[in-house]
Amino acid sequence: MRLRTNALGRLAAVVPLVLAAATTSALAHSENGVAIDFWGGFTHPIFGPDHVIAMVAVGLWGAFLGQPAIWLLPVVFPLVMAFGGALGVAGMPLPGVETGIAISAIILGGMVAFAARPPLWIAAVLVGAFAIFHGHAHGAELPIGADAVAFSMGFVVATGSLHLGGITFGGLSHWPAGRVAVRAAGGVISLLGFAYLGKIL
Amino acid sequence: MTWFFCAALVTCLFASTTPALAHAPLMGIGGVFGGVIHALLVPEHGLTLLALGLVLGRQKQDARRLGVLIFVAILTCGLVAAALIGEETLAADLLLLATCTLGLLIAATWMPPRLVLCLAALAALMLALDSKPDGTSAVESTRMLIGSGLGATIALALLAEGAVYLRGHVLLIAARVAGSWIAAIGIMVLSLRIVTRMTIG
Repeated sequence: MRLRTNALGRLAAVVPLVLAAATTSALAHSENGVAIDFWGGFTHPIFGPDHVIAMVAVGLWGAFLGQPAIWLLPVVFPLVMAFGGALGVAGMPLPGVETGIAISAIILGGMVAFAARPPLWIAAVLVGAFAIFHGHAHGAELPIGADAVAFSMGFVVATGSLHLGGITFGGLSHWPAGRVAVRAAGGVISLLGFAYLGKIL
Repeated sequence: MTWFFCAALVTCLFASTTPALAHAPLMGIGGVFGGVIHALLVPEHGLTLLALGLVLGRQKQDARRLGVLIFVAILTCGLVAAALIGEETLAADLLLLATCTLGLLIAATWMPPRLVLCLAALAALMLALDSKPDGTSAVESTRMLIGSGLGATIALALLAEGAVYLRGHVLLIAARVAGSWIAAIGIMVLSLRIVTRMTIG
């Protein structure tokens, strides 16, 4: 069963409401310049464009693959990302984090661009593997010494919102012209990934 | 449609939560009302109640009501213990652990009734022990603990009964996504707290 367009429209209508409710006053910043509140956590992944394109790609690919990938991939990603984040918080080294993030954009964008339809478990493993790199990068930058529940809430909600953005755009793939647009978006994400890998951006 | 916006409203309320600051969510508000506010606005407590409400809402009527009853009974005992125990406990960490487990169960849609009842009891006890206000008189502290108990009980009953109406494909997927977000937040914060404790002491 496919997600209906009006359901996506309702979700899209609610996102600004949640964002509006999430606004807080500007508080003190931590030593590394990160605000330790919901908004600080929310903006953390959004201010990393390499993270943004990869997370949008997860949503795009999920929407492109249809049920059950459309919800399974956005469920797998934050869970595995949290484990990666725990590794980062604990200071456990993970080689090539930035390279892994760039490759995630290349691969996930490429999957959409080439309309790849691997078995669901392969898609989930692929997304989960890349989520570790994203989580580690964010976890390593989490402000130590803070009670970071609100920060983490913002962080996870932002990640989910980026997935939702990808899913919403990926919903266009129900139409022939939209399918071309979605595949083109995947191609652009993949190219941006190459640019990040080559440190052009 | 109505339940969709109810779910959106709950999301907005949780998004508007702020970090726990020395157990004084709103300056100048104490007594029973202050305790109710505490139970609803402290992010850890709100997340726990949301997760437990979602899990209990997926149980059969008897198991659901038994779960709420066990929660209220253990919560009451815990609040009495909190009033008597003066020293700091690991309640906040164990509460996050219970929340994290509940989130994983929601994401996996695997909720064996006995495990759910055990988690309800653990969450109730830790929520009660973590509700003790700092630096107030014994009378004021007792009033706030009573308020916390009332707030948590009412919130859980409403969430558990409301979650029963989470039917339909889209809402069930939204619940699974919410579960994965709750678990991810729990994992991140728990790891950060453990590392902070090891680093700072």
